[in-house]
Amino acid sequence: MKRIWNKAPLFLILMLALVAAAATHTYAAQSFSLYTPYPSITVTPGESINFSVDVLNNSSDIAESDLQVTGLPANWEAELSADGWSVQQIAVKPNSSQTLTMQVDVPLQVDKGTYHFQLVAGGRASLPLSVTVSEQGTYKTELTSDQPNMEGHAGSTFNYQTTLRNRTAEKQLYALTAEAPQGWDVQFKVDGKAVSSANVDANGTRDISIDITPPEKVKSGSYKIPIKAATNSTTASTELEAVITGSYDLEVTTPSGLLSTDVTAGDEKKLQLSINNTGTADLHDISLSSSAPANWEVTFEPSKITKLEAGKSAEVTATLKADNKAIAGDYVVNVSASAPEASSEAQFRIAVQTSVLWGWLGVLIIVAVIAGVYYLFRTYGRR
Amino acid sequence: MFEKWRNRNDAKVFHPFWVIVQKEVADHVHSWRFLILVGLLMLTCIGSLYTAMTTIRTAVPQDDSLNSFLFLKLFTVSDGTLPPFITFIGFLGPLLGIGMGFDAINAERNKGTLSRLISQPIYRDYVLNAKFTAALLVISVLLFGLGLLVMGLGLLAIGIPPSPEEFWRMIFFLLLSIVYIAFWLNLSILCSVRFKQAATSALSSIAVWIFFSVFFSLIIRLVANIAAPTEVATEETAVAYQQFIQNLSRLSPSQLFSDATTTMLTPSVRSLGPLTMEQIYGAIPSPLPLGQSLLLVWPQVTGLLAATLLCFALSYYLFMRQEIRSRS
Repeated sequence: MKRIWNKAPLFLILMLALVAAAATHTYAAQSFSLYTPYPSITVTPGESINFSVDVLNNSSDIAESDLQVTGLPANWEAELSADGWSVQQIAVKPNSSQTLTMQVDVPLQVDKGTYHFQLVAGGRASLPLSVTVSEQGTYKTELTSDQPNMEGHAGSTFNYQTTLRNRTAEKQLYALTAEAPQGWDVQFKVDGKAVSSANVDANGTRDISIDITPPEKVKSGSYKIPIKAATNSTTASTELEAVITGSYDLEVTTPSGLLSTDVTAGDEKKLQLSINNTGTADLHDISLSSSAPANWEVTFEPSKITKLEAGKSAEVTATLKADNKAIAGDYVVNVSASAPEASSEAQFRIAVQTSVLWGWLGVLIIVAVIAGVYYLFRTYGRR
Repeated sequence: MFEKWRNRNDAKVFHPFWVIVQKEVADHVHSWRFLILVGLLMLTCIGSLYTAMTTIRTAVPQDDSLNSFLFLKLFTVSDGTLPPFITFIGFLGPLLGIGMGFDAINAERNKGTLSRLISQPIYRDYVLNAKFTAALLVISVLLFGLGLLVMGLGLLAIGIPPSPEEFWRMIFFLLLSIVYIAFWLNLSILCSVRFKQAATSALSSIAVWIFFSVFFSLIIRLVANIAAPTEVATEETAVAYQQFIQNLSRLSPSQLFSDATTTMLTPSVRSLGPLTMEQIYGAIPSPLPLGQSLLLVWPQVTGLLAATLLCFALSYYLFMRQEIRSRS
């Protein structure tokens, strides 16, 4: 029966609907009528509506009727049930009413607009119903992020919150992939667990958090990372953006890496220093300073570096002059290079050696005494 | 057997100087005096080694950088009951030197053997030189023996072998001790040349020794109290004062010896004088290399060596100008 109605020409349906609408009153006065409290409902695609329909019999006879839904749009489904049963006919006792439920499933792929259809009881009564679909329905997956852009320095980890929405009729298992540049690490997490795929129920959502770690020596700039969730039938993708501000790092060392030297007290010693820009951004105005023991002098040539590109190093000659009263043994000299953005310090261990001048003087004294003894031998010994 | 040895000995022609040296060494080794002195030294050496071994566990420094010089602690640590090895050498070394030299010349003279010796076809100064050389040889052998004994027993007891640097430090310590004892030996030989009676010579040598080991520090303290700067002295005057007192105390050979040996056996000693804040600031506690330690104590070594040689030269001068007559 339903099939026949579906195949009926549209104008006939409209005609019938008009007749039915006009005849509602007539029918209401009659013995058999249909009633629902909310004949017009607004829903979103994919929802199902339950209309509660009362069938009223005002006559003194038992009224029996077929029930049909007519004018239902394509892909919409309606089902009548009462007391847990699916029903096609209804019988109502005299002066009584019977309640039945009409469930209408709105498909996911539906245009925005208002849809009209009717519940028809035989030829005796009809109930016009209208459903307004509030938004454009889709049959696809959505992957969205509230905040797809983040900024941070090279060493930070970017954490994006995305939502995967399954707007299909079936439960889907999505494979999650990212097309990150080489060296970038992208990790998907669902409920705190690292995953490579995620299950989403039909018309359900799932929050996926994405941790993105840039490579260690990443250059400053903005990087786009496309994220894709795909099954064999549906895909969704979004693009995350990470803006790297660049890191500032400085290192003070010597070309050989040796941070110790020796100096004779009161003397000068030249030290080759190498100032390395180990960050990913250029550094400007690097000044060199030192903290040395009292009465020591440390001078740098050059004492200032105007620009040092990322990854490059500069050679500086430090001239160290030890106090001439410094005692033998090890002293600490700190050499620091500082730019406005970064600074670094190197500790040099300077072994002070005492001058051998006084040692030679001692030797001289001993030689003089031995010469005296020799003189005695010559004068008195061999007579 | 004896004859054979003697024949072979005769066959080899010795320089007359070494003949006297040989005779003197034999005399020393067979004398009771020497045996008593050696016994005394041995006992104290073993005693100090024992205390060092019982306390060396607690003496292990917390700082790793100084840990490598644990072996040297054998000579310097003590629990307070017995002084350490270096103190014993500093105290008993002079006694050994005096004991071996105080009657070197005057005993020969009193026995009448000196004139006979001189009548032999040898140079006159051979007698004095040989006596000094013989005593020095015996002392060197004895000290090296004692030192190596302590090393060996220490090696057995603690099981840590000395590093090359530690070994050389110990060798330098022993050489220093020999120079120090040689000073007292020369002093007593000088006395034995100057004084006709052995007892006078011995007493005067011992008087000098006691003066330097007991009274000298008292006198220094006295002078220090008198010369002390006022409370409101500047840093320079305080340092100058300390320097002055230290230089005074360094007139004593025992002070020179203890300065030198402490520095040789304790590598962490970096300076022997007073230090100003400027010198300490930025310094890291670290052991000195051997060469630097030697440079640090070089003035002391020079002083000791010069004093020894001066004593020798003086006794040589006196001996050569003395009249030697045969006693009837």
